[in-house]
Amino acid sequence: MSEELVKAIVEMREQDALQLTRDLLDGGSSPLDILDDCRAAMEVVGRRFETGEAFIPELILAGEMLKQISELIKPRLEAETVGEEKLGTVVLGTVEGDIHDIAKDIVGFMLDINGFKVIDLGVDVPPARFVEAVRESGAKIVALSGFLTLAYDPMKATVAALKEAGFADVKVMIGGGQIDDHICEYTGADAWGRDAMAAVNLARQWS
Amino acid sequence: MFVKPDNWDQLSPEEKKKIRLDYWESSEGLVFASPEAEARYRERIHRLRNAIDLNGTDRIISNPSVGSYALRRAGLTGYDMVYNYDKFFDPIMEFNNEFQPDLAINGFPYPGPVFDILGLQTYVWSGQRLSEEYDIQAVEGEYMMADEYADFIMDPSGFWLKTYLPRMCSALEPLRKMPDLPRISEIVDLGGALLPFGMPDVQEMLKKLMEAGNEAMRWISTMGKLGGALAAAGFPSLSSVFWKVPFDFLGDTLRGTKGIMTDMYRRPKDVLAACEAYVPILVSGITKACDAMGAPVAMAPLHKGADGFMSQEQFETFYWPTFKAVMLGLWEEGIVSFLFAEGGYNSRLETIAEMPKGSTVWWFDQTDMRRAKEALEGRACIQGNVPASLMTTGTVEQLRAYCEDLLEVFSGSAGFILANGAGVDKTTDEHVRTMIEIVRQ
Repeated sequence: MSEELVKAIVEMREQDALQLTRDLLDGGSSPLDILDDCRAAMEVVGRRFETGEAFIPELILAGEMLKQISELIKPRLEAETVGEEKLGTVVLGTVEGDIHDIAKDIVGFMLDINGFKVIDLGVDVPPARFVEAVRESGAKIVALSGFLTLAYDPMKATVAALKEAGFADVKVMIGGGQIDDHICEYTGADAWGRDAMAAVNLARQWS
Repeated sequence: MFVKPDNWDQLSPEEKKKIRLDYWESSEGLVFASPEAEARYRERIHRLRNAIDLNGTDRIISNPSVGSYALRRAGLTGYDMVYNYDKFFDPIMEFNNEFQPDLAINGFPYPGPVFDILGLQTYVWSGQRLSEEYDIQAVEGEYMMADEYADFIMDPSGFWLKTYLPRMCSALEPLRKMPDLPRISEIVDLGGALLPFGMPDVQEMLKKLMEAGNEAMRWISTMGKLGGALAAAGFPSLSSVFWKVPFDFLGDTLRGTKGIMTDMYRRPKDVLAACEAYVPILVSGITKACDAMGAPVAMAPLHKGADGFMSQEQFETFYWPTFKAVMLGLWEEGIVSFLFAEGGYNSRLETIAEMPKGSTVWWFDQTDMRRAKEALEGRACIQGNVPASLMTTGTVEQLRAYCEDLLEVFSGSAGFILANGAGVDKTTDEHVRTMIEIVRQ
């Protein structure tokens, strides 16, 4: 464990984090250990986000740092076996008619870094596509994103389509700018979340 | 057109504001549909003025933001909002006449044919990538690259003309060939500067601009006719000049969410300098537009400074200083800033209370209204904050209970307007009626 690397990521020192990664790799550190450091750092960033000490800029920049670190270690990673156990699979997407992706992408990143396999279906996803993805993957969790008030009905239709297809045991969470208890009840979703860490906590509860 | 008196420069912001409000309230040249309509209009606009002015009102104003619902209820779709704005007139007039709201309820048409002619890239819309139900949605993207900050800061107008607009609209690509206008001095410069206008692709672009301009005229005259008819029928409007906070211009329009959020760490000085470059452009442009329209108020939707989007320290460093500078610049001209705080603004309340008394109107979406009142009472008129979710899916009883609670919180307040937070596409007549009539009971 490189505490220096963890600290650099947590403190948003991008260039330091990248240089430390290069130094660690040159010094013979295992790429998997570096990934563990990234995870440890993201745990701190996630916690800070929950307690109101970190915000969207930090989540996005941390995502950017991790992407670059992954690129650096990738050539050496393939030599090692990666048999990482996932906590579960989440099918994620912005519902039909809505093309907003920023919040969905942050949720996807936070789920991924917290140990979930994420199947991101993108934006403007029809209910049938969610059903198909659940069928193919065996996922037990679906996360629906929507920014518009016009997303309420497609969310409801997606929940209904999943039930109709026999996936009553699949848990559905919803999130977006105008989502609250009323909309959770209206759509028939199992829960709603205000932000990306809420999504992670729900997924943990359901796994 | 609002004409400033000769002694304008000697007046205080409060005095300038009074002159602007007087002009707006007089509604010079407006021909009313009937004496009754005029009486209702005068009563309503005076009440609105008193709310903005924090003078106290005989009763609270209700202003449900349900323009889209008024259109959809009459069978119009998102497609109609983009292409068939000539269909707005009857449903909007019928809706206002039926519900008799305190302020005009109007839909917002988008000039779809203009988008088509120019090949707009920054939005998708009905009939193009969206189905008939939806109107328009923004496409997140980097329309200014990270290494272009210096170009923008040096010359925002030049950057807009030659770099941003060609990215915004595919048909405007030839704008890249435009000359550096400040270099035109001698006759020889003029000849050289005109050369691009002799090129086939530039000439083709100019034809498209003329075609788009004709469509824009059709669009504005349709809107103007409807706005005029609403006023003539007795419904005043707070409709005003539209602007955005410098940081949101950068974040929404130029750099995209991901770009601006990482820029705060990667190139903070560039972000601040770019925000500062915007301030004089906005103050001057908004003031001119308010003069031309006779509008005492200029409205900005607020995006990336909301709760959760950034820390308070980041807000006070990156978002607030130039936001405040624009509002103070407008206030110097007697113009009131009308801010729509989408999402929550709880953590910003103490900061925004710094603005001079009566210089702002705050429209809240998900902000705690008790805290908002505490922070801004006596300093700013407050509008809000019935949840869109409640208007769309709640029962009438739930809506009534929510409104009653708000009315109790703001009972005796000098300036409060009951409204929903985010705009609503789907609700029921009963919900709208409840919201309009509850303030009269």
